[in-house]
Amino acid sequence: MKRCILVVEDQEDNRRILRDLLTNSGYKLVEAQDGQQALTMAERKRPDLILMDVQIPVLDGYEVTRRLKADPVLRAIPIIVVTSYALSGDESKARAAGCNAYVSKPYSPRQLLATIREYVP
Amino acid sequence: MTQQAALAFFEGATAWVLATMRNLTAPASVPFSRVRNRLFVKYVALFVALVSVALLVNGASEIWFFYREHRASLIRIQREQAEVAATKISQFVNGIEAQLGWTVQLPWDARTFEQRRIDAWRLLRQVSAISELEQINPSGLEQLRVSRTDPDVFGSGIDRSREPKFRHAVSHKRYYGPVYFRQNSEPYMTLSLSGGNDSGVSVAEVNLTFIWEVISQIKVGAGGQAYVVDALNRLIAHPDISLVLQNTDLSGLAQVQRARAAISEGVSQPDQAARNLQGREVLTSYAEIASLGWLVFVDLPTDEAYAPLRATIARTALLLLAALGLALLGGMFLVRKMVVPIQALRAGAARIGSGDLSQRISIKTGDELESLADQFNEMAGKLKDSYANLEAKVEARTHQLEQSTHELEQSVLELRALREVSQAVNSTLNLENVLTTIVAKAVQLSSTVAGSIYVFDARREKFEQRATYGMDSATIAAFTDHFDTGNRYVNSALARQGPIQIPDFRDEPASLTRDLILDSGYRAVLVAPLLWQDTLSGLLVVRRKEPGAFPKTTVDLLKTFAAQSVQAIQNARLFGELHEKSRQVEIESRHKSQFLANMSHELRTPLNAILGYTELVLDRIYGDIPDRMRGVMERVEINGRHLLRLINDVLDLTKIEAGQLTLEMTEYSLKNVVEGVLDTVEPLAAEKRIMLKGEISPNLPLARGDERRIAQVLLNLVGNAIKFTDSGEVLVRASKMDRSLVIAVRDTGSGISEADQGKIFDEFQQADNSSIRTRGGTGLGLSIAKRIIEMHGGGIWVESTLGQGSTFSFTLPIPEEKTPQP
Repeated sequence: MKRCILVVEDQEDNRRILRDLLTNSGYKLVEAQDGQQALTMAERKRPDLILMDVQIPVLDGYEVTRRLKADPVLRAIPIIVVTSYALSGDESKARAAGCNAYVSKPYSPRQLLATIREYVP
Repeated sequence: MTQQAALAFFEGATAWVLATMRNLTAPASVPFSRVRNRLFVKYVALFVALVSVALLVNGASEIWFFYREHRASLIRIQREQAEVAATKISQFVNGIEAQLGWTVQLPWDARTFEQRRIDAWRLLRQVSAISELEQINPSGLEQLRVSRTDPDVFGSGIDRSREPKFRHAVSHKRYYGPVYFRQNSEPYMTLSLSGGNDSGVSVAEVNLTFIWEVISQIKVGAGGQAYVVDALNRLIAHPDISLVLQNTDLSGLAQVQRARAAISEGVSQPDQAARNLQGREVLTSYAEIASLGWLVFVDLPTDEAYAPLRATIARTALLLLAALGLALLGGMFLVRKMVVPIQALRAGAARIGSGDLSQRISIKTGDELESLADQFNEMAGKLKDSYANLEAKVEARTHQLEQSTHELEQSVLELRALREVSQAVNSTLNLENVLTTIVAKAVQLSSTVAGSIYVFDARREKFEQRATYGMDSATIAAFTDHFDTGNRYVNSALARQGPIQIPDFRDEPASLTRDLILDSGYRAVLVAPLLWQDTLSGLLVVRRKEPGAFPKTTVDLLKTFAAQSVQAIQNARLFGELHEKSRQVEIESRHKSQFLANMSHELRTPLNAILGYTELVLDRIYGDIPDRMRGVMERVEINGRHLLRLINDVLDLTKIEAGQLTLEMTEYSLKNVVEGVLDTVEPLAAEKRIMLKGEISPNLPLARGDERRIAQVLLNLVGNAIKFTDSGEVLVRASKMDRSLVIAVRDTGSGISEADQGKIFDEFQQADNSSIRTRGGTGLGLSIAKRIIEMHGGGIWVESTLGQGSTFSFTLPIPEEKTPQP
């Protein structure tokens, strides 16, 4: 059975790249374009991993992460946060929200895939 | 009085005179009040002392010579008396001896007993002093004894040959026996004579009462005595018969001993002072009766002998005393004549000395003292003149001093006011406060009652009243807008480029200003223009209720305050402009940072897509690609990544400059950082076949800072080192030096010229600008590194020689009291 990854990303190009990369790598993909959708999809699809961009509409990635990690059932899902600013404090903010890993943009698809494989082989 | 006493008196008197003179000439270190009579006393004493000494010397010498002469004459008289007595006694004895001599004229056998008896009686009858006659034949047998009291004895035949009176007479022709006393009342002496070997010896017992008579006839003064001692020094005649009868031995008397000694040595009269039998002091003289060996002494008690002397001394003393008195009186008179003018001089000088310069000394002695007094008077006059002059000068000086003190006080007040004003100008940018301070001080120091400062509002073309002093709200309101650009006083001040004064507004032509001023109760006004680069920026006005011109000092003062006001207004304006500008700059800067941040984000998003797609294509996600296309795609990826780095660096730098980069301070192991960086660049080095070495000192302390940023800096340095080294090695060394950690990156690359070393830490500067393209890199790495290191409190620098490689080093301060790294 294919592992399911929820990709939370508002940028179409980025979503497509991830879709192409992950599908090609043998994962099943569900997508969300904003924070609210991310929560809904996580609840509904129960993915094996969430790849969370922080700069998304409605609710930002940190907030979504916080809420998911507050949920007793969904908190087990590993979350990899993707930040686009290399601003200082981003990593600590992400960690504080409760993410499992942290990848800053721009990422190499190869590196990202390697990180994902650590959680869902 | 004796000689010694006289001498003692003389000596005592001399000592007294000397002592007195010594006292009188003693140094005059005495209080002023006692000086008053000293001169008088001194001179009188000196005068009296001189007279006394003269009189004393005279009197004493007179007494001395009188004493000597008197004594000598007394002695002479006594000696003569003694010699007379001695002669008498001698003649008496010689007479008897002559009478007796007849009895031994003829040989013993030539005369019969009867004849002899008759001769004896005849002798007794002729010479009453002989009381008994004895005739001894040449054989020494007594033949005849005739006595006045006893019966005659004939031919008794008593052997006398052994007795001295026979033997001595035979051998020496005559013999004087010792004096003896019969019936304890009369003195007798045995006298025997011998006429030759056959004439026998006649012995007569001689009554010596005659000597007594001779002695008692000698009268020497009242208490003088004459006496006689025999050859054995026994007293044989003396007015006091009892002494004679006691058979007194006078061998112990000094005069007797001295006389005997003198006779035996053949010397003339020895010292005549001695003591008599009663122990009284006497003057004594003697005469010798040579045949008998007797001495006649004549004594006169000393006190009696010197009685006339004492009288003389008393007379002399009396004379002396009288002379002293006269000397005292005369001295006093003379000295008084001399001292009185001196005292007058002294008193006058003292009064002049104590400040009474009008005092004049009046002395009419006609001598040096009078001329001295005249000189004193002249001096006092001159002193008085110069004092008067001095007083006038002092008064003038005091006046000047008071005036300058007043001026000084005014200046101090002004300076203080100016200081307060400039403090206000410099310490506060609140223009109203400064102007209020200025106008208040201006009014206070110009002796006016009210003042205003107007500031020209160029927009409204009006003078706006910005500060007032000494005005109630109604007056303030009335004066708010009363100046405009057409006001004649404003124009006048502007034309003069300085203050104008209106001493009395009543004298001014009718105008709104005149009405306002007079209605508000003011009369005099001083207007100082506030001039900034010759243009009018405001007015400082002070007003007074009394008419009258303002003194120049006030006008000058107001000018100064006007200048201060201009300064304040300019300060306020400049500050306002500066504040506005900096606010705008800040906003612009914020906008720029935001813009850059947004820009980089916006730039990155599509770039991410480009890189992502490219990588997916190269990873053949979309199927196989031809080799030529792969090459192109790889170039796309390389250039995309370079662009991304550029964007990241610009973003970093922007954040740093905007102050938005905050460090995540943690304690970290520098060793881990170095090792991590070396791991990261290992593939790059391997690719260029460059040796990559790390030297990390053991036991480095933990560092404190933003580990990620330090790693970024080190990565940049090592990356550059590999980039610019074509062969050789790159060495990373981490060590501790003092209170810092030092990280050095040494390469064997091309090196950097000295000129370039100075600027490689600036933005977009590489040693060779072409290398930006050939070597990759953004030209921002080192400037970012420099800023990050500086944010950590460290320093970064480069040492390099062209062609021999470079060493980039940076330091990081070691935090206090950290345990070494395990």
